[in-house]
Amino acid sequence: MKRLLAGLLILVFIISLSIGIAVSQKSAYATSKITLRLGAWASSPAEKKIVQNQIAAFKKLYPNVDIKLVEIVGDYNQKMQLLMASKTEPDIFYMDSMPAWQYIAKGVLEPLDYWMKKYNVKTIGYESSLLQPFIYKGKVYGLPKDYNTLVLFYNKEMFKQAGLTRPPRTWQELKDYAKKLTTGKVVGLTMNLELARIQPFAYQNGGKVFDSSKPVFTDPKALEGFKFALDLFKEGICKTPKDLGAGWVGDAFADKKAAMTIEGGWMIPFLNERKIPKDSYGIAELPAGPAGKSTMAFTVAYVMSKNSKHKPEAFKLIRFLTGEGGQKFVVEAGLALPSLKSAGVNFAKTYPERKALVDGAKYAQVYFYGLDGTKVVDVFNKAFEDYVIGKKYDLKKNIEERVKQIMK
Amino acid sequence: MKNKTKVQEYFTAFVMLLPYIISFFMFFAYPLAKAFIISFQEFSFLGDTPPKFVGLLNYKEALTSKMFLDSIVNTFYYSILVVPTQLIIALILAVIVNDKVKFKDFFRTTYYLPTVTSPVAVSIIFLFLYKTDGLVNQILSHIGITPRNWFNEPSFVMPAIVSVAVWGSVGFYMVTFLSGLSTIPDQLYEAAEVEGAGESTKLIKITIPLLKPMIFFNTVVSFISTLQMFDLSYIIGGSDGGPMGKAMTMVVMIYRTAFKEFNMGVASAMAFIVFGIIFILTLIQRKFFGEEMSY
Repeated sequence: MKRLLAGLLILVFIISLSIGIAVSQKSAYATSKITLRLGAWASSPAEKKIVQNQIAAFKKLYPNVDIKLVEIVGDYNQKMQLLMASKTEPDIFYMDSMPAWQYIAKGVLEPLDYWMKKYNVKTIGYESSLLQPFIYKGKVYGLPKDYNTLVLFYNKEMFKQAGLTRPPRTWQELKDYAKKLTTGKVVGLTMNLELARIQPFAYQNGGKVFDSSKPVFTDPKALEGFKFALDLFKEGICKTPKDLGAGWVGDAFADKKAAMTIEGGWMIPFLNERKIPKDSYGIAELPAGPAGKSTMAFTVAYVMSKNSKHKPEAFKLIRFLTGEGGQKFVVEAGLALPSLKSAGVNFAKTYPERKALVDGAKYAQVYFYGLDGTKVVDVFNKAFEDYVIGKKYDLKKNIEERVKQIMK
Repeated sequence: MKNKTKVQEYFTAFVMLLPYIISFFMFFAYPLAKAFIISFQEFSFLGDTPPKFVGLLNYKEALTSKMFLDSIVNTFYYSILVVPTQLIIALILAVIVNDKVKFKDFFRTTYYLPTVTSPVAVSIIFLFLYKTDGLVNQILSHIGITPRNWFNEPSFVMPAIVSVAVWGSVGFYMVTFLSGLSTIPDQLYEAAEVEGAGESTKLIKITIPLLKPMIFFNTVVSFISTLQMFDLSYIIGGSDGGPMGKAMTMVVMIYRTAFKEFNMGVASAMAFIVFGIIFILTLIQRKFFGEEMSY
């Protein structure tokens, strides 16, 4: 028994010794070569490929920097909070526009202004609306890596059968088309019943949902816009994918359960995967409302951790990923739109049929509602549900009540 | 001399128990105490700002939050539907498979199988079954009921989740009832038969009274587990609580507050409120079923 114990002790000693040696060797290496960690959420293989190609290209330029891609599986914000609590977050990582201010306000992200000045990076190069979520109290905390806008996808064959030759351009046309295309098992339009799809209607009507730093809840113009969209649901000419028995709008559209859908550019790679021929559907800008055009932009930025030990290199990596060198790969892949204006021009040239996505960026509102974003979205989403499912048609009163309950 | 061996014995026992003690403190006692402290603080995982003591403010915010109060109502609605249905079905199944039916081992295994299946997998299967064009609706349409989206209608989402939960966990309670049934002496039944009692009399006069400890145990366990329900609701309803928030349970609400709204303090306060609710309910049930459980 004693012998066994002694043997165990010796074993433990040897193991810890060898670990110690390995660790000290590793730190000796680090002086000559540094390792940066890049945090990204687990996405499609195609998106991972872009990042891997970008990293490979960066390594060619900076051979003394090694980059490890940290893929975060599961709930990104949950994992990120835990990584930060244990001070093991990656040096740079993805940051969605919605929770950006929540992170920034807690002071966990490095302001980039100093580095931008030092390495000559200007905000003017980026699509301007995309930066807003990452600027807090005058400081820039993230540079957008790519974005996507909402567009109208329509099934050309169904349009032909209904005698329609072009996509709808106005509200009235959208409604008429949807009515015409709703037959039997097919519904004219499908979209999610949420602020991220309904909001453009508010802006198309000249209303507002978010004003520079504060949410606007009961702008009469916005309410009117919401009502137009919600009434499409009420009349049964627009349905949620769930009501169509589909996992998401992509499935509903690919399975020909709906003739039109309002969704982002991420539909395209999905439709390719589902082997839907490219010329069987069209992509158009969202129909204009009484006050003009509007759509939504969804963007993700690269941000730097305040605790990064290699800030200059980390910033160089951000600069590369969001600059000409890295954006080239975004353009090539065509998954999302490049955040750099100059690269956007190339994108429209490479994919002429996707021009609507780039055009939308000029008048898009970015999906972002300040510090209380989650709650703001909640107020609207619940009120929309109440309207369509719960048949509570006094939208204004309902939103006001929800604001009282949720915002406090 | 004798004392020394005693000390040695204690020491050995302590060393042997050490792995458990360490893990108990690391993964249970410490987090519990920490969460309790956090429930009185404005706490965030993000940043280096030290947590600020805010007294009972978190509890106040939790108890005045309409969404949390709604989630309590939803959870109770769920519990009240699940617990009796589940236990009655489990008891019936147990009595059946305890009898001398053919292939009873096969049935026992089959009924128990869903219990060892991951709730996530179960939820996803039922998402398909309950789809608008899913199997359930196709069968119902044959008997003239129009297809509906069960998981997307405010008044149907909870009952639909209840059906998933009952299907998924009835096996566990059946097994506990079975173990209870095997402890009931056969003489009692024989005596009852001599007295001329039928099957139903035997069930009501012998089986159920003698199963009281098992019924108590199952009720408590079932109540606690239903009040802590998370997975089904999260998969089916998402963190927004499904249609009009009708599928939002207390634990989903805690998760949402902590990781979506970055509000650890309020989330911890909610967790302790849930703890309090479950604790009080268990005490009441204990009172209700009486203290002594032997016969």
